[in-house]
Parts: sequence; structure tokens; C-alpha cells
Amino acid sequence: MVRTNFFTKQAEVTPENLGEAIQQAIEIEIATIPVYLYTYYSINRVPDQDAISGSIVQELTRAGRSLSEASAIALDLSADIMVYANKAGALIMSVAIEEMLHMALSSNLKQALAGLPQLAGKSPSTWPAYLPGHIPPFPINREKLSQDQLMTFLKIESPKPLTDPKLLAAPIPYETIGLFYLMIKDCIKNNDLYYNLRSPQLLPGKGYYAQNNIDTVYYDRDHKAHFTNAEDSGDLLHVRDRESALHAIDCIVEQGEGFPGAPGFENGKVDCSKIVPDDYDDPGEKELSHFEKFARIYCRHNTLTEKFKTNGIDTDITSYFVVNVQKNPSTVDYPPNIAPVSDLLNAVYTYLFVMVENCYMQAGSTQFEIFMFGIHKSMIFILNSICGDIMKLTYEYDGQTYAAAPTFEDYAFGLVSSPKTQLIELFNIAAAVYPTINYLGQRISDLPDVPLQVEGKFNNSGGYTSIKLNTSPC
Amino acid sequence: MSIINYSPKLSLCGGPAPTPTPAPVPPSAAASPNPSLELHVCMGLNACKGHDRTGTNNCAGTGACATAEQHNCQTLNNCRGQGGCGLYGDAEQQLMPGANECSWQGSCAVPIQAERFSTLGENAGKSVWLQARKLFEERMKKANRNFGPSPMKCGPPENWLTSVLGSYDSCGNSGDKRCSFGFNDPEKHAKELCEGKEEQD
Repeated sequence: MVRTNFFTKQAEVTPENLGEAIQQAIEIEIATIPVYLYTYYSINRVPDQDAISGSIVQELTRAGRSLSEASAIALDLSADIMVYANKAGALIMSVAIEEMLHMALSSNLKQALAGLPQLAGKSPSTWPAYLPGHIPPFPINREKLSQDQLMTFLKIESPKPLTDPKLLAAPIPYETIGLFYLMIKDCIKNNDLYYNLRSPQLLPGKGYYAQNNIDTVYYDRDHKAHFTNAEDSGDLLHVRDRESALHAIDCIVEQGEGFPGAPGFENGKVDCSKIVPDDYDDPGEKELSHFEKFARIYCRHNTLTEKFKTNGIDTDITSYFVVNVQKNPSTVDYPPNIAPVSDLLNAVYTYLFVMVENCYMQAGSTQFEIFMFGIHKSMIFILNSICGDIMKLTYEYDGQTYAAAPTFEDYAFGLVSSPKTQLIELFNIAAAVYPTINYLGQRISDLPDVPLQVEGKFNNSGGYTSIKLNTSPC
Repeated sequence: MSIINYSPKLSLCGGPAPTPTPAPVPPSAAASPNPSLELHVCMGLNACKGHDRTGTNNCAGTGACATAEQHNCQTLNNCRGQGGCGLYGDAEQQLMPGANECSWQGSCAVPIQAERFSTLGENAGKSVWLQARKLFEERMKKANRNFGPSPMKCGPPENWLTSVLGSYDSCGNSGDKRCSFGFNDPEKHAKELCEGKEEQD
């Protein structure tokens, strides 16, 4: 990660450092994406209910229950696990999708007020990571789903400052993400700023952003579908003046923390009581804020654990559906049969940011094609597929067996050839050690060729003087 | 994950995918469609006689299966009118199953299983196939064409597609739409979706 040095001279947002501040906002949003995605992929959203039920029956009959009684309890508890696993996955994905929206909204803001957003190479490079500028700092790990990990998520999205008496005397860049955005908002409100309307932004109405998809859906005990995001909770927005700039910031903050007044941590504990109107982020009160979504997963874990205990089963319920992935793995630690697959995965992940950056240099149908054929395809049908495939591989580390996990590290593309050329080379190397991914070759070769942005300009030294799309005209 | 080796022989959700039944279909069914056919995305959506995958239908709207290339997710359709829609994509795209403007703009798999519901927009929670059929019927009426009923009132169920095509997959990580955790009747859900009810609570 090329870390941007923020606020070298001052800890408030002024017209002079507004660009730095918005870039910091972008990097805060980016820092959350690998963390949420890592935990998402640790969840088996569709575990084997028969196997879970059978395991519970065994335990209950060993404890002296009759088979019929044990079977009835097992059906009930296994259904709870099925719903919980699916719902936890849907909620985390619904937040990850909105973090990508926030990255785009902040990038629109920067494009309008301070120039090109920088996105590629901005994912955390050392773990545990820390949100840029957050006071107090707290460690963020790429970890499988657990109560500890959910507590980290809650800290990230907390609407209330995190108390840390040791740090109260220190300078305070920001205590919550919402307060940080408030500083930017104040600067925008109080100054007559120039809005660049000529440079491209990611605009609504083009199909770039969808609040829901099948991955944000979960099924309840009756197998009825529930959608975790609401269509009125937020969308892309053209930042063209003070009003739209403030609107973009409100969308980001409300989706993360809820409306002003939403309860957060109380004395370091999560409030699991009834949801209040401020916990929602949309006027229709259909979508919970990020903080409250994570609180619901956290609290349900507690009640489910208690229910299992009441039935005589003392276990970590996540053992039924969470894959054993290592904490903060690195590609360099993977064995030779996994490392090339991980490199490819990280290159696709990084290329996504390269393509989004490029969208801020292109307008019209060129931007549309990069977004729809490059970014959508990469997210849904390349990255998601490799994530699933790599997790079928296992390795030994410190005497334990782990499933290989997507590490979401920035891949350092070289400048000699285009990123796409390097992607194809990486694919060939990865497919040679793991032929299961052969089917991805065509999808990767279908991606648009997009150059790297180097210090605000695009590098065309790789043999491409303009973007070439491998798309056939209709 | 827990080590679990007991199976009470319930038929619940999750676990490894079932082995598809071999396809009991005419030899030409799974072959590449004849390029001269109009390419459409599912059962009951053919505009002409003989324009389905088996080439045996008598009338518009009565074809048994898609002529467009089978694919399993957003961005994988070859061209205009060949995308399935429903699970990904924005609200506008999701209203246009089988009627997308360009290659790769369809937002889900082809063919469209009866159980699929839209995830966004006016049709959210409702059957994608019924929406596709509605667009097809509107197109036929506008062209002053007669059309017959679909072989299956609500489109092809996923199990049927699996048996005919050898395998069938549509994208997404949230699980099988036609499933039970032990507390619902999947047939009842399918019937409700077929009747135009919303899948969403």
C-alpha cells in the first residue's frame, strides 16, 4: 500500500487540504473492503443441514435423549444455524456493497473538488491494519467470522466515539468515521468552492450500482427471501454543487452509522435491545445501518448459543458453518500450489481498482463498457469464482491445517506491460498448478485493457496507447 | 467446520450438490442451436414455429427450451436479447429478462428457472420467468401474432432443467431457492411465485 500522508500540518479540514481529506475518506472506505470480504468468504452460507442435524442428534442421544426427541430438537437447531449462516453472509455482503458505493461517492466528491481519486494500491499492506487517522487506533484483522471479528466491525461503524482514556489527551483527527465526514462537510458548507463539472464521475441511472443482488438475500426458517438492502437507502450521485456534495456525505454516514442519535456502544457493550428508528438508514425504515446490521449478527450469536446450551449442547456455533481460515495470511506464506492462485486473485482484486480509477478518466460508452464488462464481470464472475476455488485448497501452517483464503493484497503490477497482459500471464501460471480454474481464461481475456495510473496520469508504456476493449459490437 | 459423519437421511438444505440425472432428451437437445433460429432465453418465449432447442414446437410461445447459449450468470450473454436477468443488475435491467439491449447486459443465467425471482426494482421478489413471458406476449401482440401457451405455466422448474440439460446452475451464494429447512413446503412456495405473489416477506 502506498500510504498517503494526511494532515501533515493541521488536524482540521480546510479548502487547502480538502483534497487530502477526501482522499483519506476514500482510503478509509477501501480499508474496510478486504476485511469485510475476507470474513464473508469464511462463511459457508449453505452448510449441510443433514450433517449438522445428525451431529446434534448424536450429541443429544449420547446425553440420554430419545431418538425422536433428539431429532425434533436437531431439526429446530439446525434450521436456526442454516438461517443464521445465510443471514450473516447476506448482511456482511450488503455492507461490503455499500462500502464500494461509499468509495465511489467519495471519489465523485474528490473528482468534483480536488481532482482524480487514487484507488489502486491503497488497500492495507500490513496486518493488523488501522483505519487511517482513527483515534483511538484499533487493530483490524482479516479473520474468519467470530464474535471478536464482529466487535471489530462494530468499532469500524460505531456512531459513538470509542472511549480510550489513555488517548484522550492526544490530537484527535477523528473519533468516528461520521465525525471525520462532518469535518469535510463543514469545510464544504463554509467555503465557496469550485466544482469541476467537466471531469467524469460515476453517475446514477447507468446500471453501475444495484442495492441488492442474490448475495444480499437470505432465507428465513420458512425459506422466504429477505432483502437486506433497501432501494431508497442510497445510490450514486453526481457531485456538482454544495448541495449534492453534502447529500453524498450524508448518504455515506447514514448508511454506516444510522441517523444522528442512533445508539452505539454503551460502556463498551453492544446494545441488543429493540431496534429504534434511528438504527435505520433509509426513510422507509427497511434497511438497518451497518452498525446495526453487525449488532444483529453479534446479538443473534449470543441468543443462539444460549439456545444450544439450554438444549445441552455447549459449542461454538460458528463451528457448524465457518471455514477454518488463517488470521491475516499472506501469499508469500502459501505453498507453491496455492501462491500462484493467490497472486492471480490479488491481481484481479487490484485490477478492479485500476478500472475504477480509469472510469474517472473516461466518459460515455467507454466508461460504461469498462464498468459493465470490466468491473461487474471481474467482481461477480472472476473474483468471486477464484475466491470459491482457492478455498477448496488446504495447507499446513504451524502444525494446523487451514483452508486457503483470498488475501486481498494489492498486487504490484509492473510498468513494462499492461496490467491485463500481466493478468493473463498470472492466469497461465496459476492454471498450470491448479487446472480447476481453467474455465476463467476466457473471462480474463474478455476484460478491457486499462492502463495503470501513475502519479495521477495513466501509464501507457505497456504498448497500449489507448484503451482497447475486447468487446464485440452488437 | 465440525467433523460430522452422521446422516439421519433428512432431505434438507446445503451440503454437496446432487449428481444431476442424465438427460432423457432427444440427441439434438443439448447441442449448439442452429444459427438460423431466433435466439431466445427460455421455454415459452419463441416467436416462431420450430424455434426452440428441439425444433419441434408448432407455434409461437410453445417452445420447450432456449435457443440462446446456456450460461449461468450476469455478463455472460452473447448479445441482444440473450440475457436471463433477475439475480444481479440494476432495477431497470431486471425488468428486461430476455430483452437486454446488448451483449453481456443480461443480468443472470439462461435458461430461466421457474423458481428465480428478481432482486431489485418493480419486479423484486416476483417471478423472472413470468416477467419474461409478459414481455414476450406484449411483443407478439404488437406484431399482430398469435401465440400458444407455454408448455409449463410458470416456466421450467430447476429440477426439470437439470434433468434435461444434464446440469443447471445459476449464480449466487445464498443457496437453493427451491429448498426447505424443514419448516416449509417448497411446492407451495413455487405455486405462490407462479401465481405472481412476491417471494419477499
